[in-house]
Amino acid sequence: MLQYTIRRLIGMIPIIFLISVVVFSLAKLMPGDALSGKIDPLNSDPAYIEEMREKMGLNDPIHVQYLRWMSGVVKGDFGDSFVHKREVMELVGDRLPNTIILGVSALLITYCLAFLMGRFSGRYAYSLGDYLISGFNYLALAIPSFVAALVAIYIFSINLGWVPATGSIGSGVEPGTFDYFISKAKHTILPALVLGSLATASYTQFLRNDMIESSRKDYVRTARAKGTKESTIYNKHILRNSIIPIVTLLGFDIASIFGGAIITETIFTYPGIGYLFVESVNARDYSVMMAIAMMLTVLTLIGNLIADLLYGLVDPRIRLS
Amino acid sequence: MEPVTQATSAAVGSVIKPPKSQSPWALARRKFFKNKIAMISLVFLIIVTLLSIFAEPLTIPVEETAKINLTQMSKEPSAEHFFGTDKSGRDVFARTLHGGQTSLLLAFSITIAVITIGSIVGATAGFFGGWVDNALMRFTDFMMNFPFLLFVIVLKSIFLESSTATLIFVISVLSWTGTARLVRSKVMAEKENEYILSAISIGCSPFKTITKHLLPNVMSTIIVQATLTLAVMIVAETGLSFLGFGVPMNIPSWGNMLQEARSPDVLTSKWWIWIPPAAVLTGTILSINFIGEGFKDAFNPKSNR
Repeated sequence: MLQYTIRRLIGMIPIIFLISVVVFSLAKLMPGDALSGKIDPLNSDPAYIEEMREKMGLNDPIHVQYLRWMSGVVKGDFGDSFVHKREVMELVGDRLPNTIILGVSALLITYCLAFLMGRFSGRYAYSLGDYLISGFNYLALAIPSFVAALVAIYIFSINLGWVPATGSIGSGVEPGTFDYFISKAKHTILPALVLGSLATASYTQFLRNDMIESSRKDYVRTARAKGTKESTIYNKHILRNSIIPIVTLLGFDIASIFGGAIITETIFTYPGIGYLFVESVNARDYSVMMAIAMMLTVLTLIGNLIADLLYGLVDPRIRLS
Repeated sequence: MEPVTQATSAAVGSVIKPPKSQSPWALARRKFFKNKIAMISLVFLIIVTLLSIFAEPLTIPVEETAKINLTQMSKEPSAEHFFGTDKSGRDVFARTLHGGQTSLLLAFSITIAVITIGSIVGATAGFFGGWVDNALMRFTDFMMNFPFLLFVIVLKSIFLESSTATLIFVISVLSWTGTARLVRSKVMAEKENEYILSAISIGCSPFKTITKHLLPNVMSTIIVQATLTLAVMIVAETGLSFLGFGVPMNIPSWGNMLQEARSPDVLTSKWWIWIPPAAVLTGTILSINFIGEGFKDAFNPKSNR
């Protein structure tokens, strides 16, 4: 296992290198450059701009620029944001906790809902409740996240006024206090609910089908023959076996939580990584954009690795090699 | 015992004549037609498609939908404007139909492109195996690593004078990988059959073997995949347009129309501007998913519904 992990990690290095080349060339291909933010806007003298370009190394050959950027990236330094006038890592570090809070709450909601619905559907298959749940699943699969978000804002923020529609924290709330926590939770719950409940469909279906399949297996028949209570059979015997495969889906979720939150974060103007990305593309803030693109791609790679490792851990028949 | 005469033998012959066996396609079609939900969805999708195609004769020309009419701003639904008008005084009903045309056309084009690229790469890799397979699949894996939304946004902002054609190109280039993997695995399984061996042994060229013998037999998988891709692509297009990275703003599309709902005023008090595109969009995706499920069921010989 350890050997496999190390081999996979080493195998990632050339891929990350190639991806960095792609990200860098894409950023260079984007029109305009970020000078307008860096230079004193009152001084638009061409000679001065030329001097600044020279000073910032934007006139160097492309491979020199790439090497300079890459050597910074290896040290964890993605340069400065032109728009925010701060270090990129600092800026990302500011926004990252928000995305993590949102992602983790969404995941929790997904797992809780999927567990409850899948358990019910699996136990009472082809009942009215099962059909209702599968109807919900079809709807959740079909409805685009931004439509769901709009409807959620319309109902819960505007008509019922329960939670605020935008931002991640109320104004004038002191960090560390109880009010701060409540405000944070109120701002996070709606986007998390939208993200989380839309993702349940595949989990629920997975758990349901697995439970139905398991309920026909021999060990269940044995348990029944011994007179075990039906609820014990389902809660102890079947559920324990069926819950494991779901854990493996976690690896794929790691990347999709960070990457997939772009739309949701933008609608709720929730200051996380995804919203920062959209902002930085619109403002041509290349260093931020490149940093987020790199981070998310590496996260995808790591997420896939975790998924593979979990597979091997859960099902010993799968040999990792 | 009655002697066998010519007449009786002829009668027996005509009776015993084996019933015409149905092709797998005919069986699948019969099964699909029996699937109520899929049929309702198909009818819904056909209606939406027809309304979108005939948007112009039914309502007003596209150029008219873009015109700003200050005397008709934010009117509620009435006999004159079925779905009311938006903040610039444009008819929401006409825009929903024209928007359907844009969104569906885009999704269909992207799906065709994605399925074509995916099938070619997948079939080539699966059929030839060896280093061809290795090279193509490494490339596919590499493409798979890019977070989709992120790179569409980046690529979109590179093409400044963006049109719908660039959007089709950008999304297609980034989303064929899943199809390629699927087709490859199916082709690899199918290739082991004797009829492929015999086709190769009588001298069929690889191209002919793939197109005439392999692809028809993995077609059912490809069709199901295409249906599901279509639904995903409608979501992708509308989502990108909603964020402002999709179809240019002057062209009506469902995503562009929904973008208006980002202003709190529209979302709060002018429901008729955003509910129609949202409802049609969700209904269309739902029906496509049901049709895909229906196809999957119909092509599966093990399911007997």
